[in-house]
Parts: sequence; structure tokens; C-alpha cells
Amino acid sequence: MNYQKKILTGLFIFYSFLSLADSHKDVYKLETIAEGLDHPWGITFISEDEILVTELSGQLRLIKDGVLLEDPIKGVPEVLFAGQGGLSEIILHPNFQENRYIYLSFSEIDLNNKLNTLRVIRAKLEQRALTEIKTIFKATPTRKTAAHYGARLVFLVDGTLLITSGDAFNQREKAQSLDNHFGKILRLNDDGSIPKDNPFLSIPGALPEIWSYGHRNPQGIIASPDGKIIFEHEHGPMGGDELNIIKPGKNYGWPAITYGLDYSGAIISPFKKKPGMEQPQKYWVPSIAPSGMTFYTGSLFPKWKNSLFISALVPGDVRRLNLDSDGNFLTEEILFETEGRIRNIVMAPDGSLVIATDGPKGKLIRVVPNN
Amino acid sequence: MIKIIYSFIITASLITFLLISQTTVSNMFWLLSIDMPVTFSIIFSSLLHDLYNMNGGGAIPVIGLVSLGLFIAFLVSRVILVWVNINHKYAYALAGGCALAAIVLMMPLAFYNLDLIAGARSLYGKIYLIFSGILGGYLFGYLTKSKED
Repeated sequence: MNYQKKILTGLFIFYSFLSLADSHKDVYKLETIAEGLDHPWGITFISEDEILVTELSGQLRLIKDGVLLEDPIKGVPEVLFAGQGGLSEIILHPNFQENRYIYLSFSEIDLNNKLNTLRVIRAKLEQRALTEIKTIFKATPTRKTAAHYGARLVFLVDGTLLITSGDAFNQREKAQSLDNHFGKILRLNDDGSIPKDNPFLSIPGALPEIWSYGHRNPQGIIASPDGKIIFEHEHGPMGGDELNIIKPGKNYGWPAITYGLDYSGAIISPFKKKPGMEQPQKYWVPSIAPSGMTFYTGSLFPKWKNSLFISALVPGDVRRLNLDSDGNFLTEEILFETEGRIRNIVMAPDGSLVIATDGPKGKLIRVVPNN
Repeated sequence: MIKIIYSFIITASLITFLLISQTTVSNMFWLLSIDMPVTFSIIFSSLLHDLYNMNGGGAIPVIGLVSLGLFIAFLVSRVILVWVNINHKYAYALAGGCALAAIVLMMPLAFYNLDLIAGARSLYGKIYLIFSGILGGYLFGYLTKSKED
């Protein structure tokens, strides 16, 4: 009798899992929007039918009415396409419809010393070309490595711009000092000037644009719809990827505290916590390599409303995180695990989700309800 | 032959130990410099962890990398020593230094200038590791010397 109960319970759990998996398929379907993108990275909608996509190799592409236009947008500065570097993020100015300003981040080489750095520009998008290009940020010092640029951008509700800047891999200790841009989140006005209420303005030797520090390679940053919570995720080393809530002036600990190990297997720090250093909302061991993020506010998937979606390169899926009203992590669900490495995820104006697959033959895929 | 194998294992193990301990200790010094509560027991346990994990838990086992570099360098030295009459200890010391120099200077070229061995990121670290190779090579020359040397 006991055996029968156990078998029935086991079968019930097994079929519950199967029905859960099937229920996902019932909820959504994937439709390819564009193929053949060369390492797609940043995605932004300029209207319901027009999508701008950056390719890491240096092209800014336009998808119009579901068609990837052959000619890239003209006027994009030359980028350093090497390692993890290249043309990275694209976002629109909050008043884009009036001023036509876009912001691009990319790695570029310094021809004087063959080193490279992260640069952010503002440009006007007119008739499929960039004009009035203005550099609003250049990370210092320059670096030898072509890795860990961060390079994500987001506008806050007060009109200021946050820029993520990675630790350049070899410079991880500098994430703990305020005299450089390695491992920092920076805050600027939309013209590149320094806001007067940045947290380290009065600290001698600190760079005035620093907003938070102690980051490794932050490749995701967004604000909640009401603008009150800033979510950021960053790549850990071997394990220790993090989701953080970013607050001005805070130290997020890298590399003094971490949940990961170095790629060599060595300990980076035996410490995971320290007073004065922020703890992540969630961390992943082993790593998922978080690569992009969006906050779902659409109406096409009512059950996903107010969820945080994080794209992941390893093994290649999207994590849907349920949060409480303060942004604290509650539960995680794995989605879209059949598409390989996923570089980015954004919400379209119609409430569908758009994901970009990584690599030289990257795709843009729209997630829509399956009905 | 057994003497050469035995000497090679000792040499590779010594250099691996010097390399790993430098990575661990330099890291602990940095943590101390920012007031992290590093104790001797933490240093010791971290060293044990790294000795184990850097030889099997990471991307590349250090002992394998060091052994490969030394094997090639010592083989080339052995061939040169047939034609050139110099002290074996110095020849192998040079070979050991070259092997470690190749590891710390050339490996980053294959990884976008990333130094995967954390202790090799600074110039001092690179010099120390090359010196470790020289020391190890000298030891190999000493252990394998014949009566004629």
C-alpha cells in the first residue's frame, strides 16, 4: 500500500513538472525578426516598427517594419572590435522624439599608446545618419585588456545618465579606489556635465562622476518603472554573478568580497560579507553570465507583469525573477533555453519581449503570446 | 632516466608552489591593505585551497602548464648542451626562466592581454615568477648533474 502511494506521488510530481514545461510552451512562441546580425549587443525601439541594434563589430543597424535594412546607420565612430570590446549599448534620450539624440557606448583604441578605453557619445539621428557627435564620457585610465567594459547605459527619471564601467579584468583592485573609472557606475547629465548632487563630489581625490563602486563587469542596468529602484547585474568570475540594487555612494564589494573564484581556481577573497559593503539581491554559483536586463510592464503576458528578465550567456537562457515591491528577489524561473547564448533582452512598445542571440550570426527574436 | 624524471617532478612542483603561493600571498596582502580581517589561519587555508584548486579546479592546471613549459625549455637546452660547453646548472636556469617568461608574457597574448594568473598581473609579479623559473631550472641542473659537470 505504501509502495502504491509512493509511486502515485512520484507520478503526480513527474506529470506536474511535465505540465509546467508544457504550460510555458502554451504561454509564448518565438518569432525571428532578423538574422545574420554580427554580434548584436544593444537594442532600442525608436517607434513601434523601428528597432536600432548595435553590432559589436561596429555597425548600427536599423530594422524597419520587420526588415533588417542592408545599409547601416552612417557616421558611427570607429570602434575597437576585439575581445569583449566593440560597439555596445544604444539608448535614446528621454526627449528623443523632439531632439533626436541617441547615446552609444563603445571601446576605442588610443592611437598614441595603443591602449584602449570605454567611450560614450551623444549624437543626433537624422535621415539614417549620426550628426553632432559629442563625447560625453571617456573612462580613465586607459587599459591594455579588451575585456570587462561594462558599457551599459540608462537614463534615470531625473534626466541624468548612468554608465557602467567594468574593471578591465587585470585592474580589479582599482574597483575599490575612487580615483579611476574601473569597476564603477558613473552618473552624468545628458550633456556629459557632472550633476551637482553626485555622492563623492566632496571627497578629495575621488572622481566626481562616480555614483557607486566595487563592481566587476556590470552588463545590465535598468530603473524600475517608477524610477525609484535601480537594478544592476554584473558578471562574477567563476561563480558569483550578482543582481544588485544600486544606491548612490555605496560600495558593492568587488573584489574584497565575492561569491566567486578566479578563473585559475584561486581564491580572490575568502570574504563574502563586510560591514560597509553591499550584499547582492541574488547571486549565481555557477555563473550564468548575465548580459542584459529588462523590467516587464507590458500587458501581453499578465503573469509576467513586474518581473525582471535577465538574459544569460551561459548556458544560454533568460531568467525571470519575481520581486517584492521593494525590489527584493523572491523566485526565479528559467525561460527560452533553446536559443543558445542570449546577449540582451528588451521589452517592445507593444508588450512583447525581444531577445538577441549572441555570436557572428546573431538573431533578434520576438516573444509573443501563443494564441 | 629515473633521476631526470624525479628531478623534473621536483622542479615543476617547486615552481608551481612558488607561483601559486605568490598569487595567494600577494592577494592576501592587498586584502590586508584595505583593512580586511586577514589572519594567518586565513592565509594558510587560502594557500592550501589554491594549491589544490589551481591544479585542477580552474581553467588550466598550473602544474600542467608549468610542466609543459619546462619540458620544452629543458629539451631545447639539452640539445644545445650537446654543442655548447656551458655549465648545465646555468643552462637549465636560463631555460627555466625562459619557460616562465613564456608563460607569464606570452599567455596573455592569446587572451586579449588578460593575465589569467593573478600574481602575474604586475611587473613585480612577472619578475618574481621568471626568477622562480630560473631557480627551478638551476635546481634541475643541480639534481641531474653528472660527475663530469
